Amino acid sequence: MAHNLQRALVIACAGAVLGLAANLISPRRIPYIAAPKVAPQPTDFISLADAKQLWQTGATFFLDARATADYAAGHIAGAYNLPAEEFDARYPQIATMLAPDTAIVTYCDGLQCDLSHHLTARLRQLHYQNVRVLQNGWTVWHQAGFTTTTGDKP
Amino acid sequence: MKTFHFILRFIVGGVFVVAGVLKIWNPASFAGDIANYRLLTETLVNLVAITLPWVEVLAGSLLIAGIWKRPSALLITVLMVIFLAGIGQAIYRHLDIRCGCFSTLEARKVGLTALAEDFALLIAAGWLTFWYKE
Repeated sequence: MAHNLQRALVIACAGAVLGLAANLISPRRIPYIAAPKVAPQPTDFISLADAKQLWQTGATFFLDARATADYAAGHIAGAYNLPAEEFDARYPQIATMLAPDTAIVTYCDGLQCDLSHHLTARLRQLHYQNVRVLQNGWTVWHQAGFTTTTGDKP
Repeated sequence: MKTFHFILRFIVGGVFVVAGVLKIWNPASFAGDIANYRLLTETLVNLVAITLPWVEVLAGSLLIAGIWKRPSALLITVLMVIFLAGIGQAIYRHLDIRCGCFSTLEARKVGLTALAEDFALLIAAGWLTFWYKE
């Protein structure tokens, strides 16, 4: 068994070396060490009360960062779906409705969910200045009894 | 028994080759899937995403080719134990995440199906490693 284990280790190391080498020349290469994430600041968040107030004005753009199926099962009324993972494909359509100073609230679901943070970061890169995250958004919104809707339309 | 051994090698090895190639195709997405399991520090996530698929492909290929059959089956067994632990803890912690088992090809979430599949693969790989007598 010992020599099997040794050889298994050899295979693992050879595979790892292959992977490290392939990543040098791959067109889809990724950094060997991921850039550290910037910790979210308190100003990145919006409270439920403030979000509700903005929602009532109707001038604020709500973006649901969850997957399409989750969005269809229920979302904040009027919110558009922009799944963080399909950003490149879906953003152009959303962009036609946004101005650089549009107030935007992003949300997903669960305290651990960082889709809304990813989405916010992407939007800021694109020079939208007024983007904030409603943390645990779907849960707090529908638990508060605020207006929601289902289906694939806002 | 010999035919069965051959077929099982082909299935287990084939699954690993396919799963590995799909992950190699899209390392960024695989890195995201690994990060979602919340087991590794940020520093390690990309290194695992870069290396693990190649280890899978290599071990799977050797198993199919019949070179170093037992060592490659052993490596696959160890990997399956690690994958099962990862999926198990994700279910236990109620993480609503994509499995990442076959990269982005499947939108399948972590859950009991993935757990059962991995368990079947573990048994198969374990048999190839420990119980099969030439």
